[in-house]
Amino acid sequence: MSESEHEADETVDARGSACPGPLMDLIGKIKNVEDGSVVALLTEDEGSKNDVPEWVEEAGHDLLDIVDEGEYYSIYVKKT
Amino acid sequence: MNGYAVVLASEELERVQAVSMIASVAASSDIPVEVFVTMNGLNAFETAAIEEMDFEGGRVAEAMMAAEDVSVPLFTEQMEKAKAIGPLKVYACELAMDLLDTDLEEYADVFDDTLGVSGFLNRAKDKQIIFV
Repeated sequence: MSESEHEADETVDARGSACPGPLMDLIGKIKNVEDGSVVALLTEDEGSKNDVPEWVEEAGHDLLDIVDEGEYYSIYVKKT
Repeated sequence: MNGYAVVLASEELERVQAVSMIASVAASSDIPVEVFVTMNGLNAFETAAIEEMDFEGGRVAEAMMAAEDVSVPLFTEQMEKAKAIGPLKVYACELAMDLLDTDLEEYADVFDDTLGVSGFLNRAKDKQIIFV
């Protein structure tokens, strides 16, 4: 299992849910955290690693890292 | 971005599900979405169809209906979730309901109200229209 240099303030575990579940869970969480918070999204959905960065860019947040954890991905997003 | 006005006139599960996904992600991102469910589109929202997972459609619909461990949330569940997060409104067509002799109680609990064509056009006039 790989590790990220980033530490999450909040974690959204969306493993087991398919597109667009993980993205919607992330959006819901991002809305409810303070600016500057780092949210880690855990997802097994292959589409998430392309679709989540698209949303993050459009919404103006920072994509910090996408870590391949083997069975799933950890996507780190900083709210700006 | 003024948002999207979606006309859903099909009962095919693939189309209904696609509308729900796009509308839900847009609304969750604070983009206003109005979904007008009309004609046969209403059939997919009947409580009986949902309880029995009995929908029209092709291969994707069959795969969704056959899956025991469904990881894709059904459109109704997705819409309910999105409505709690962002500006998503869902309306049922009055004309189609008159023809079918149904009322809102016979449908899933996702509708904000019933609506006629003028009402839809008023809500759609500043939005991009998507016809499905």
